[in-house]
Amino acid sequence: MPPVHKDVNSKQRQYEAMVRAWSADLYRFAFWLCRNEALAQDLVQETFLRAWKNLDALRDAELAKPWLITILRREHARLYERKRFDTVELDDTVPEDTAWASPERSGDAAHVRDAMMKLPNKYREPLAMQVLGGMSCDEIAAATEQQPGAVMTQLFRARQRLKSLLGGRAAAEGAL
Amino acid sequence: MDCLQFRRQLMAEPRSHDPQLLAHREECPACQAFWLRTQHFEDQLEQAMDVPVPAGLADRILLAQATDARRRQMVRRRGWLAVAASILIAVGGGTVMWRQAQSHSLPVLAVAHMPKEISALALTAAIPDSMVTEGFAERGTTMRGPMPLHVTYVHDCQVGPYRAVHVVSRVDGQPVVALYMPGKMTDKPEHFSRGGWTGREIPLNDGTLVVLAQHASPDALDQAEAGWRMAIDGPGGPSLTSI
Ligand SMILES: [Zn+2]
Ligand SMILES: [Zn+2]
Repeated sequence: MPPVHKDVNSKQRQYEAMVRAWSADLYRFAFWLCRNEALAQDLVQETFLRAWKNLDALRDAELAKPWLITILRREHARLYERKRFDTVELDDTVPEDTAWASPERSGDAAHVRDAMMKLPNKYREPLAMQVLGGMSCDEIAAATEQQPGAVMTQLFRARQRLKSLLGGRAAAEGAL
Repeated sequence: MDCLQFRRQLMAEPRSHDPQLLAHREECPACQAFWLRTQHFEDQLEQAMDVPVPAGLADRILLAQATDARRRQMVRRRGWLAVAASILIAVGGGTVMWRQAQSHSLPVLAVAHMPKEISALALTAAIPDSMVTEGFAERGTTMRGPMPLHVTYVHDCQVGPYRAVHVVSRVDGQPVVALYMPGKMTDKPEHFSRGGWTGREIPLNDGTLVVLAQHASPDALDQAEAGWRMAIDGPGGPSLTSI
């Protein structure tokens, strides 16, 4: 792999290009991690400052996005207590065709957003890494120091939980 | 691959191009319908997660980096000055003068630090006490008393050359900022007012507490100060008994 930058000026240019290319995606990822706009901005600021200080550690510009996500997750974990327990555990049954939230029942993006807000962190985080970060199960597993099988289960349960949240809402509104 | 395996894998990786997965989709009409619904749900999920990004975010990040680079240069220079000054102090014994020079700069640094996190003032939801305790613990301060009511923000920050804990609490519905940093920089509380901020600098425990607010009453500053005093020093802490 060619080095990411050769001199100070090209390091600055490299950094600017990285900020312009990834700050929006990183902000969205941060938002879904902390569910707060102000804190998400703060996390992204801190992440890019740290990235600047450690830019020499990034050997391949292609890997910038997962690298930034890793820094951001570390920054987030440093600031917030991780609650690694979950009181209610759904079973792993695949929903029947009829239980699946149809477009009409799952509603618009705002409803899915509400459901996402209620999703426990352990499901929300890998889901954000997959959907926003474009990371594969193996990449998420490596980044979170878990087995790929465990990540598969989390992603499966994340969607299962989302659908049950959306189904519950629809039921509550008498849409079922 | 059977139908159950297909659906499990699809719910974990809806956008997968796994040949086995796609092969089952082609040969099983029920799973093909399931696949279509999954894609639709995934479209909705992507749309939902695509939250609006604050305008000018990239520019602010680049500005912060430029400012940080400059600040680091300054801190490095100031570091040398401090070494030079400490030699002077060792030679001449001018500790009081040096301490005064430092204490006068703290309100300036505190007020200058505010714009960077001005959005934190808009937060209204209280965060758990454990998060506040942890924020202080990261900066080496163990809390001795109960946390103030309604803390909305905690962050570890660099305030000028000082590593500080930056907290915001709501007093009578108004945000009051507190910065706590190790090292005594003043012997007695000092009040300041600058750039639209009023506040005070207070020696507390082994460190210095700065409380400041934009439009808060002196009473709100009193309450915030008392709250953080209680949290950092504990009930009947050294600073209370020594008065
Ligand atoms: Zn099938
Ligand atoms: Zn701060």
